[in-house]
Amino acid sequence: MDSKPSVSPDPRPAYLPEREHQRVKILVAGPMGVGKTTAIKTLSQIPTLHTEEVMTDAAVGTDDLSLAGLRDKKTTTVGIDFGRLTLPGDRIVLYLHGTPGQRRFLPLWEGIAYGALGALVLADTRRLDESFEVMDLIEERGLPYAVAVNIFPDSPDYDLEIVRSKLDLHPDTPLVTCDAREMNSSLNALIELTAHSISSVGVGVGAS
Amino acid sequence: MSRDKHQRRLLPAYLATGSGTAALPSTLDTLTALRASGRPLASYHTPVHRRVVELVTDGSLTAVEIAGYLSLPVSVCLMLAEQLVSDGLLNASVPTPDALAPSRAGRPSRQLMEEVLSGLQALRVA
Repeated sequence: MDSKPSVSPDPRPAYLPEREHQRVKILVAGPMGVGKTTAIKTLSQIPTLHTEEVMTDAAVGTDDLSLAGLRDKKTTTVGIDFGRLTLPGDRIVLYLHGTPGQRRFLPLWEGIAYGALGALVLADTRRLDESFEVMDLIEERGLPYAVAVNIFPDSPDYDLEIVRSKLDLHPDTPLVTCDAREMNSSLNALIELTAHSISSVGVGVGAS
Repeated sequence: MSRDKHQRRLLPAYLATGSGTAALPSTLDTLTALRASGRPLASYHTPVHRRVVELVTDGSLTAVEIAGYLSLPVSVCLMLAEQLVSDGLLNASVPTPDALAPSRAGRPSRQLMEEVLSGLQALRVA
């Protein structure tokens, strides 16, 4: 995660297209350090922005409070990076929200997941188990998702079928590899997600 | 979707601090686009209100972008924006009009997602 406190004050903000358009939210989710911010930076046409949200009494009743010190913690600050991608024709603007994967951020999830087209879950083959938590959070919200294995230089060899079985993915859930630094590769992951969201219309919608 | 003063509604301030199962506020969404109407600030507006209005004087930004530019928590920004919309200083437009249907639960329609898909494919080829 980037440590910069906020975006530098640009002389002029990147305003939205003047023509009438619709704005669609897509979540980029996954454990810390998996490449969420990298993917968002790759895809965004504006300098990525950063917001901080203060959560009070983090996830009372939902958190197992096993993390040291959390029991005494009254507030938690959660940083969220996001970027913007205007599709050709200026009629649709996509917002890519980097979404923290831990259940203790559950209160934020209600707001973040609302209205989203779906979630792109980034996974790292070196620590696949860290993706379970975020996949659970997404499934609980009935949100369609696709999984993209972000390729790191020292990632071990992997076989997508093995990854699929380790992640216990539904056969319909798209699973792709991606290099979050590469535009086409990241776009491809979004395309897989969107196609999956379209195909799941009427299947899970409204059943949250 | 500008409102008059007499229609003022309170923004649920718990948007992000969350009461878990509560229905989400239907007033302003984080992707609501906001733009200054040109109406002058009143004496009771704070310097932060002014910064919000000035930021969107020359163009529109969503609530979440305003929060990012001004380093405000999103929940606070939504609250400020709600006040300013009620006071007539900001005009607001919803992110996806057809997602307001109750059955959609805020989700984009199939048609909209298909447009997203073809737009993404066009970008990839480029």
